[in-house]
Amino acid sequence: MTAQTETKPRKPGLGILKSLLLMLPISLLSFLFLTGGPPGGDPLRFIAGIVTWLALNTLFFLMLYTGKTYRYRLVLFVALALTLIITFAASILSTRGSLALTEADILQGKTPFCHLVIPTIIIPALFTRTIIFPGSLLTGFAPIASMLVIWAGATLALGRGWCSWLCFYGGLDEGCSRILKKPVIKSIDRRWTYLPWAVLLGVALLSAATLSPAYCEWLCPFKAVTEAAAITSTLILIQTVIFVTLFVGLVVVLPILTRRRTQCALFCPLGPLQSLANKINVFDVRIDPEKCSRCKLCMRSCPTLSLDEASLESGRTLMTCTKCGQCVDACPRKAISFHIKGTKVGIGANVARVLFLYPTFIFFSAFGGGIIASAILNVLKLVTTGRMY
Amino acid sequence: MQGFLLGLANGTSCVVFCAPALIPFFMHEGQDVRQNLVTLFKFLGGRMGGYLLIGLLAWGAGSLLSGAAGYQGLLLGIAYVGLAALLLAAVFRKKAPAGACAFEGARARLSRWPALLPVGMGFLAGLKICPPLLLAFTGAASAGSLAGSLVFFLAFFLGTSVYFIPIPFLGVFRRVSALQIVGQFAAVIVAVYYLVVGAILLVAG
Amino acid sequence: MQKLKGILGYTWAALLIPLVVATLFGMGDWMELLVSSTGLTVSPWFSGDVVARTVAHAGYETRIHRPVFRALIGERREGFVQVDWGPLEALPAQVDEEVDFDGDGQADFRVVLDTASGRATLTPLTEYALGLAGAYRLDDAWAVRAALKNPRR
Repeated sequence: MTAQTETKPRKPGLGILKSLLLMLPISLLSFLFLTGGPPGGDPLRFIAGIVTWLALNTLFFLMLYTGKTYRYRLVLFVALALTLIITFAASILSTRGSLALTEADILQGKTPFCHLVIPTIIIPALFTRTIIFPGSLLTGFAPIASMLVIWAGATLALGRGWCSWLCFYGGLDEGCSRILKKPVIKSIDRRWTYLPWAVLLGVALLSAATLSPAYCEWLCPFKAVTEAAAITSTLILIQTVIFVTLFVGLVVVLPILTRRRTQCALFCPLGPLQSLANKINVFDVRIDPEKCSRCKLCMRSCPTLSLDEASLESGRTLMTCTKCGQCVDACPRKAISFHIKGTKVGIGANVARVLFLYPTFIFFSAFGGGIIASAILNVLKLVTTGRMY
Repeated sequence: MQGFLLGLANGTSCVVFCAPALIPFFMHEGQDVRQNLVTLFKFLGGRMGGYLLIGLLAWGAGSLLSGAAGYQGLLLGIAYVGLAALLLAAVFRKKAPAGACAFEGARARLSRWPALLPVGMGFLAGLKICPPLLLAFTGAASAGSLAGSLVFFLAFFLGTSVYFIPIPFLGVFRRVSALQIVGQFAAVIVAVYYLVVGAILLVAG
Repeated sequence: MQKLKGILGYTWAALLIPLVVATLFGMGDWMELLVSSTGLTVSPWFSGDVVARTVAHAGYETRIHRPVFRALIGERREGFVQVDWGPLEALPAQVDEEVDFDGDGQADFRVVLDTASGRATLTPLTEYALGLAGAYRLDDAWAVRAALKNPRR
């Protein structure tokens, strides 16, 4: 080999054989989660499970083989959000007959619990050992205890990776943020990134004072696509106007104009809690300062504004990093990588990435995959029987 | 002593009610602990004023409980809307630059009367006919003499105020500029909540 | 030291895989453990709290729940008590009953409920009953919430 011979840069992904081998455990586990084993009584359920299984494993294989994370995660994440809307509606209609939440539903604990309630329930739970949410603890659709266990386990494993891999709402604003090729609003004042902390503080204090979930009652934009209280008073009408406005603004319009996840990065009160969990999570994303050319492409592409000038200097993303993989894939010098705390930056990046993807995909198969399969089943039932449930 | 102990036993509901407005306000102000303690005393002074006004209204109506209870919704509505207005004024007021002389405008006038904000907030917080307040008047009324009633009431007020003492220690974190920004945003959020709820209470009567 | 940190990091990362599998496969057990070890319940302001007393009638029963005054710390000055009548199919066209919410032997309020329309009226019989907070048709019962003044405050 002469001095002028150029060596081809090493491909970021793994070879076909390695990718297939690493995919095997995920395939087996996801098959169990999604189909419940051999085909049972309901062929439609099995078909929905198999279709989801195929899609999940194809995308996982592509992530391993190509070394790219973001584009395949995006497909899964947006699919999760869209299918949640379908399966949620079907479940609620089958149990209550209407998407509108009535006072009788509240008394009987028929409100499904979601993770966005968690910031509001912490202080009252500590003081009174009660959950200030009109749901069911152990039974019914989306019982409180199930969501708490899922959230706790996922947060321990992924930190704020929850926000880019498992949150079934995040795909809505992320999907909208990918519509335009270039942003119309190019820069966002960094001070807005403190708003989620303020929302957390405000709703936590108000919920503690009133013993009712202030975020759900006043601010949750996703009531626009799930369920909301029947409009029976002026107060509820005002609350409805607020959440519809927030949905249109933060989840649809601003993400389109800025190409950023504005609801997740600039409003969601669960984000700060997940960011704190990032501090104790073993995975993070690091920048190798020797390879970085300060082109700032990562800063411009980060959906959650988790990179700034100080990040490039320190080689670390901000605590708000959701581990979506966008900056890792975008960096032209391959200076950014998934990283395991305690190890050297840039060494074993592939291993770190695979070790991150494994628990993530296991969780996604069971949790997100279950939602996607349910929605496919609802659609199949609608097509074959005329009813979604 | 009985009044003070009664205040201690019942004061937690006061601080729980006031915390959503107070904590963001103190965070936003970004003052040190000593300055925060001064602000707290102004707030408590205003709260005492609110209590006294309720007491006077109730005694003037001739009946402590039923007279006051009839206007509870209206007073609560006024308190909420006023609190919201003061919180928003605190967040958006222009702080007077050093050495400024002629300085006009409502925002500037607010900056020359910094006491207005915490005293006003305390006064409006005191307008809420909260359980400790009624207990205070019941206890004070049974004291037997005017002096005894006043002493009982003051001791009760001090007892309820003990729970506010930790709040000024937010000043320890004043150098963390992020906390000021968070406090600013949180104050606006809480203010909007109080504004909407207060407006509905006023309209509903 | 760096090598030890690296080993610990990889070990921690690898251990997350069985943690996640255990979380998912043991969901039911984790849920039960969470509830039993913490004693968590749904807030009585939503659930209406547990049934304290039942009164048997011909074919149906009246369930009087524990009154709710719970605050973040201590109790509130006002609260409510929930009273249910069920099962639905056994209820008469009109339920007319005096309710003693605190078990002191004295009726505190009287409820007249039209079980076809859900129209209800509440007549206070003591100073603690403030009025009707709402009437609700549940899956298998009619429920009424009566606003109360806390006798302990």
